[in-house]
Amino acid sequence: MKSLRSTVRSHMRGPSTSRAGSCRHTRQWFLAAIRRGLGPEAGWVQRHMASCPRCCRRAAAWRRVELGLRVVKSRPHGLSLLQKANAEAVRMLTHELRDTAQAHELTNPDPEQPFLGWAARHRHRLTNVAACVAILLLTRSGLFSSLNRLNRDGEAYVRHYYASQAGEDLAGEVFDS
Amino acid sequence: MRNGCPLFEKAISYDLLWNAGGCEAVDASQQWVLAAMQRHGPELVTMLWRILANEQDVCDAYQTTFVRLAHREDGQQPRHVRAYLFRTASNAAITMLRRRQVESKSLSNLGPCSCACERAERDFDTRHLAENLRRYIAELPDHLRSVVTLRDLGELPYREVARIMGISTGTARVYRCKAVQLLAAWMSKEEPS
Repeated sequence: MKSLRSTVRSHMRGPSTSRAGSCRHTRQWFLAAIRRGLGPEAGWVQRHMASCPRCCRRAAAWRRVELGLRVVKSRPHGLSLLQKANAEAVRMLTHELRDTAQAHELTNPDPEQPFLGWAARHRHRLTNVAACVAILLLTRSGLFSSLNRLNRDGEAYVRHYYASQAGEDLAGEVFDS
Repeated sequence: MRNGCPLFEKAISYDLLWNAGGCEAVDASQQWVLAAMQRHGPELVTMLWRILANEQDVCDAYQTTFVRLAHREDGQQPRHVRAYLFRTASNAAITMLRRRQVESKSLSNLGPCSCACERAERDFDTRHLAENLRRYIAELPDHLRSVVTLRDLGELPYREVARIMGISTGTARVYRCKAVQLLAAWMSKEEPS
């Protein structure tokens, strides 16, 4: 409470030019302080709720409503719903209004994202083309020749190991055949 | 949801016929209707979806809203188009929701009640929770219901909700609080002990 008084005093003494911003800050601070002191998260409220089944039930019911509202809000509608609704509404207007460019824009499928719609329709073809391009690029960048070199080097190393452990004859028999 | 509900379909078709009858009153000078659709359409569809959770119903309520806007008695653009649209859309959606509930109630009365044993299990289902909440929101008194739909489902700031309803911001906050209290009381009554 002491800090609230000092805040209010400083606000009263403050210059008039920054009064609007100061008002907003004071209001926000005041609301936060009230919420901290009197809101459901306040310690004394929590302690009371732990011992009072009636308040506990009431708080649970409030939370249930808030949860319900969140569930209702969290379910998105289909992407085409707006366009469908626009089309149905425009259909009820006169010819003059229906034939305007604005009406066409409202009823066109996905007016904001024409490229995405086209891409979705040709998804498989685009994937094939992208795969071919990727193979070409990998060939050009020498990845495949590097892999071949790695394979050869590995084979030579294993041959050398066999030669040192089991003898040159056996290694030649295994790797040269 | 509407399949197999002839009463509902009949009501909707009468609604459409009524709408179609008034179409000729609209002319090209009312392009502001399309502009409003472009500007506020996405938010309206989101709010309607949250209230109705059914695509066809959303389309019907949306259509009703814009046809009402285009066929206002004076033929003039309302002073606050956004406010008009949100109020009309939420009212249309709640009317549809109530109608749907009456129908589902009458249908459930016809068939055997097999849901009693599943009740406790379904209670944890979020869909069931959302459906319950929608049902209770539709049963709220008008002023509380409007605040909840505009503020929570339409996600409008309190300032705008207050302007739409012609009340102060503080009153809008109080109404919202009362609405949540009422919803909580109804939902906890329904909760299985």
